[in-house]
Amino acid sequence: MTRFLQYRDLVQVLVARELKVRYRRTALGFLWTMLQPLLTMAVLHVVFSKVFRFDVQNYAVYALSGILFWNFFSQSIITSMNSLRTHASLVSKLPVPKAVFPVATVIAGVVNLVLALVPLFALLLISGHDISPAVLFLPVSILLAALFALGAGLLLSPLAVFFVDVVEMVGVTMTLLLYLTPVFYPMAILPERYLFLVRLNPIRSVLEVFRDPIYYGKVPPLSHLAVTVAVVAIALVVGIVFFRRSSSRIPFYA
Amino acid sequence: MESAEQAPVLELAGVSLCYRLARHRTPSFKEYAIHWMRGALEYQQLWALRDVDLVVRPGETVGIVGRNGAGKSTLLKVLSGVLVPTTGTARRRGILAPILELGTGFDPELTGWENIFLNALLLGRRRREVEERIDEIVEFSGLGEMIHSPIRNYSTGMLARLGFAIATSWVPQVLLLDEVLSVGDTAFRERCHARLDRFRRGGAAILLVSHNAQDIEANCERALWLDAGRVAAQGPAAEVLQRYDESVHPVATTTA
Repeated sequence: MTRFLQYRDLVQVLVARELKVRYRRTALGFLWTMLQPLLTMAVLHVVFSKVFRFDVQNYAVYALSGILFWNFFSQSIITSMNSLRTHASLVSKLPVPKAVFPVATVIAGVVNLVLALVPLFALLLISGHDISPAVLFLPVSILLAALFALGAGLLLSPLAVFFVDVVEMVGVTMTLLLYLTPVFYPMAILPERYLFLVRLNPIRSVLEVFRDPIYYGKVPPLSHLAVTVAVVAIALVVGIVFFRRSSSRIPFYA
Repeated sequence: MESAEQAPVLELAGVSLCYRLARHRTPSFKEYAIHWMRGALEYQQLWALRDVDLVVRPGETVGIVGRNGAGKSTLLKVLSGVLVPTTGTARRRGILAPILELGTGFDPELTGWENIFLNALLLGRRRREVEERIDEIVEFSGLGEMIHSPIRNYSTGMLARLGFAIATSWVPQVLLLDEVLSVGDTAFRERCHARLDRFRRGGAAILLVSHNAQDIEANCERALWLDAGRVAAQGPAAEVLQRYDESVHPVATTTA
């Protein structure tokens, strides 16, 4: 831990590089972070409120808050999973604490998410949706989501070094999870029989802690918050324990 | 004899290192899980180092020789802390500067200037320390205006100069050199040697890995010969190198 703190300037540089790499080959640069979710939302808006006719008040805000969360969540997990693989040659030659790589990718994801909140708030203003003081709770929501993603990244990044098929397995799982999480559909449309599946999905509680202040204008209820904190704590502990146990073997596979 | 009384900066005691790799050619999680459930996981055990003892004190220069695959690079990785010994203990003290293969810890898309930060931070320096030294690093590398150009445009000589300039900008207690002194032009090599001499006089220990006996003979007073992961000989460089040389080029010892 103290060794990790000594490398905090390195984390900063890696975050900056991650952001730079992500936007280098795009004509619109950082604007893309803001435009991409808006375009997705526009498509979903047409599909779900005009074609399928979900009965959701201000569906655009519901969908956009879900998309921002999901983009952050899935990108953070996938890039942090790949972070050790892409730095494998480095990690096998320099005595650098390996956790800096997954940590830096998750922080870069948080920066992206914060930038993407700008169009979200623009949409709130334009659509006349109430902005409640509960949005001040968002930093806590984002922190919880980031720690959850970090836990997953710490678990998956060594696995991705050890086994070549993990990356694909995670890709498929993420798609499955997207449908098991109420990102773009409301919980109400689910048939009673399948409701439990979505209820059991731990990512749903992390998403709702993020969406509650934006869409419902309320601080998440304490009972719900407690469940989310427990979920995040478990993910983080599992991630850290696995990472610590396996990280000395990582240089063998590079 | 003064150096013998100083506490060692590097100390390996009975170090063995085993690469334990799954025997399957494609390391897939699916196969691993299936084999694990059957209790049929097989590992290939490869002992890259066996029972290595090495003590390095301040101011010493130790050469490590051996054929390809003898475990020289593995030994350096244990010394730098990248690999953890399977058995035995590895202890080090103070700032350790590894100078490794060309381009390790550089990003080809970033400029030389940006790479100085990236590389030095990877070596464990703080941003403030880099800011204090950056002019001196640029100066020593002799890259001039090229420092603001992406390093994918650099020649191997330029990369080597930059790498050396960064790693040696902070006086280390231990310097690990992996066959890097042979790159760069003569003028730069002379400057490297001058800097290494200054470090040595200042009490730094230097470990030099090479399969080239001349390199070691010219720079080291002590040598360690690794053969198939074991220490075949250790002691005064001339003696060790002679025995190493005899094993590489066996000569008929008939005295007729």
